[in-house]
Order: sequence, then C-alpha cells, then structure tokens
Amino acid sequence: MQVLLIRDVLDNQLIDATGQNAGKVDGIVLELRAGEPPRVRFVEVGPVTLARRLNRRFGDWFARLDARLGSGRGASVRIPISRITLDEPSLRIDLVAASTPIMALEKWLRRTIVSRIPWS
Amino acid sequence: MKRWLGVALGIVTSIGGFLEIGSIATAAQGGAEYRYQLAWAIVLGTICIALLIEMSGRFAVASKHTIADAMRERFGIHFFMVPLVLVFFISVLVLAAEIGGVAVAVELVTGIHYPVWALPVALLAWGLLWYGTFSIIENAISLLGLITIAFVVAAVHLGPDWHALAVGLAPTLPAKQPAHYWFIAVSILGASISPYLFYFYSSGAIEEKWDETYFGPNRVIAAIGMGFGGFLSVAVLVVAALVYAPRGMKVEEYKQLPLLLSSPWGRVGFLLFAGSLFITCIGATAEIALALAYKIAQGFGWNWGEDLEPSADARFSVTYTIILLASTLLVVVGVDPLKLTNLSMALTAASLPVAILPFLVLMNDRRYLGDHTNGWLGNLAILVISVLAGIVAIVSIPLEIIGGS
Repeated sequence: MQVLLIRDVLDNQLIDATGQNAGKVDGIVLELRAGEPPRVRFVEVGPVTLARRLNRRFGDWFARLDARLGSGRGASVRIPISRITLDEPSLRIDLVAASTPIMALEKWLRRTIVSRIPWS
Repeated sequence: MKRWLGVALGIVTSIGGFLEIGSIATAAQGGAEYRYQLAWAIVLGTICIALLIEMSGRFAVASKHTIADAMRERFGIHFFMVPLVLVFFISVLVLAAEIGGVAVAVELVTGIHYPVWALPVALLAWGLLWYGTFSIIENAISLLGLITIAFVVAAVHLGPDWHALAVGLAPTLPAKQPAHYWFIAVSILGASISPYLFYFYSSGAIEEKWDETYFGPNRVIAAIGMGFGGFLSVAVLVVAALVYAPRGMKVEEYKQLPLLLSSPWGRVGFLLFAGSLFITCIGATAEIALALAYKIAQGFGWNWGEDLEPSADARFSVTYTIILLASTLLVVVGVDPLKLTNLSMALTAASLPVAILPFLVLMNDRRYLGDHTNGWLGNLAILVISVLAGIVAIVSIPLEIIGGS
C-alpha cells in the first residue's frame, strides 16, 4: 500500500496504545544519507514544530520560551516511524502518551487547575 | 427506537438552538423597519443552515471525522489557522452577545443593570459544561427552549397581513435606506448561518457515535429542526412588524425588545419574553463555548468530549473556561449587548466565505465521504449564498457605521 507522507501522515491524528488522542503529526523527520536515498525516521509531535512550520522566527522564539519551563522542554517529542501503524481514520502509536511530554500540558492543567475545582 | 428518539431530541435541539439573541434582535429590527419585506432573508438563511447542518452530520457519519479534525488533516496547519483565528474572534463576540442576552433577561426581571449579571451568567454556563453531559445540555435547554413558540402564538394572535408576508418571501429592493436594508439583511443571514453550529453538530454526531443508520435521521433533523427554527424567526419578524412598525419605532435599545410579547400580553408577555431570551441565550452560550473548544482541541489532536470528566480532557475543559471568561469581560465592561449583536452578526456574514468554502471542499472529497459527497445543487446553493452574503456584508458594514454616526 502506498502512503503519501503529506497526505496520509502529516497533520493526521495520533492515537496511543491506550486509545487516547496523542496529538497530531506536527512534523516529519527524514534522514539524508550519503549515496543512498533519504529515509523517514521520526514523526514530531509538539507545539515547537508547529510554531516553526507557521513561521521559523516565531518558532525559534517559542522554543526558547518553552525551554525555560523545564529540562527536556523546548523541543518536540520524536516518535520513531517504526512505532506507527495506519489505523483508519487515525495513526496508532505503540506507546503510552501519558508517559511522554506529549501530555505535559494536559497533566500540568489537571494537577494545577482541574483538581482544585470542587467535585471535579 | 432509540435512534428515532434521538431524532425527536435532535429536532427539538435544533429548534432550541436556532433562536438566540442574534436571530431575535435582527428579525425584530427587520420587522420594525421594513415590516415583512425581509422575510426572504430568514428563509434564505434557514435553507442555507439546514443544508450545512445536513452536510456536517453526513460528513461525521461517513468519515468518522469531525470537521475541524478533517480541516487540519486535509489543508495542513497553515490553512487550518486562517478560519480558526477568524471564526474564533468573531465567535467570541457572538458569545459575548449571548452572555449579554442572558444578562439582559435577568435585568428585565430584577431591574439590576446587566453588567452585574455577566459573571454569574458565565458561571452558570460554565457549571453546565463542567459538571453536565452533552445530553443534559442538549435536551434540557432545548426542551425549555420550546417556550419560544410564544412568538408564533403572538404572531397569529396579532393577525398578520398574510399577503404582505407572502410577498416578503421574495427579495425586493427597499423604498428607503438601501444600505441599512442590506446591513439588516446580512445581519439576519449571519444570525441564521452560524459557523459554530456545524462544528458543534459534527462533534455531537461523533460524541454520540452516529453510524451509517443515521444518514436518514440526520436529514430529517436538519430539515425539520432548522426549518422550524427559521419559522420561529419569521414569527419574531411578524410580531415586530405588528408591534413596532405601527408605532413608528425602531429597535435601537435592548430595552425595547420585550415589547414584542408585552404588547399583546402585558406583564405575562413581558415575563415570557425574558424567559425566552434567558433560555435561548444560555443554550447558545453553552453551545458556542463548546464549539470553539471542540475546534481547538480537534485541530491540535487533544482529548475532547463533553461527556468526559474534566480531568480526562483538562486542555479542552480549560479552553472553554478561558473562552467564556474572555467573552464575559466584554459584557462586564458594559459593551451594549444589542450593538454587539448587530456587529457580530454582520461580521459573521462577512466571514462566511472563509468559514464555509474549505468546508465545501471537504464535502466533495471522496476520501472522506466515499459515495456520500455533495450533489452539484447543494454545492452551488451554499457557494452562491455564502459568497454573496460575504460581499454584501463587507460593503454594508462600513456604510452602516458611517450612516450611523
């Protein structure tokens, strides 16, 4: 089966191993190899990649801002292409998003805001 | 059985969801100043939104995607951001108008000035979203929304000129103030064709797990629900033509609105109007806040769902909370709800080409819809109406502002 990277992968929905929404494919990383054709290595998930696609300077500024929020921040999460399968209408990844920085904002909001609102 | 119960509820939802501050105020203004002459705008807007709602339901059933999801996938992040930002800012204004509508309803009954009520109203809407479920919001508010049938009873009770009303169903040029006439006409179109409605509807279809058996019920809900909603708007226009026009009144202040029902029925009518305004606007407030949060969450691939606990979709829940707060601020600082309504409805009309054309492209994509893509008539109707409404709005908004100052 033929898969077109821009049409079938980029900007498509990711579902993790537990069935949770794990963001969209914000970027695709190719590896250039001397004397050999390029190879698809990762998909990137995260606002830094998204911001860079909209505007590189805005993206760089956003990445510096994001980097201040803690170690490991300031870059998007990379998922090896080998861990992705097509599962219409989405793409499935064989890892748990909650254990990656993909869910960092979700977990932070849950901890600092949602859990403090009564009966939530 | 359950599916047809769903159809009944869906129809009631559409009725409850159609009428709100935008359609009440613009229909009242149209009726006051041009009597029955603008009835065609309501009919045209209703046909357009019924077609769009049917399409968005069909899209969800056939593709298992919501519209926002598919827009990001199909057009990429750049093109997704354009309608997102545009629809977002205009919808925040519309949302503020709805919160203002609820606050005005409370002012009518208590006599305490509306900005005071903005925060409590927003808190009530937020509580419905935070602690409620999709079906509670949909069904409870919609059933209560049937109070708006009072406008139909009032219209018949006051004895309209049926012949003049029938003539008004076809577009004609006005005898006076053409720029103002077209401004009201596009405001009526903007109030009927609300882009948030089809984001809301397609998300609801996914949230309620509609399958292929829903193609038929979806058509029935769109046609009867939206049709009846338009019918209610025409009733408001008729009542306005019979209440304001003979007195030579224009609707320039929100305090003039209750006269629609207090003129035939006194104090009881006054309370019926306040009740109608309260329920329809609180319903629209919840729907718009949800629709915007759906669009953002789906566009960025987050967990979303009104039926999930807020702890399971914290980003989604915090998003509608922030949106509600932002809109509430406009009412707290005392922006006039009627002016806000007029402006936001006309801006909605101006934004229609950008909001709707990408949706039409999706509706013709076989990868999403298979054999269920749009027919040429539906495409043409939506294309012509949205582009014309957009152009007329862009021309008439500056003219209205110059003329009004």
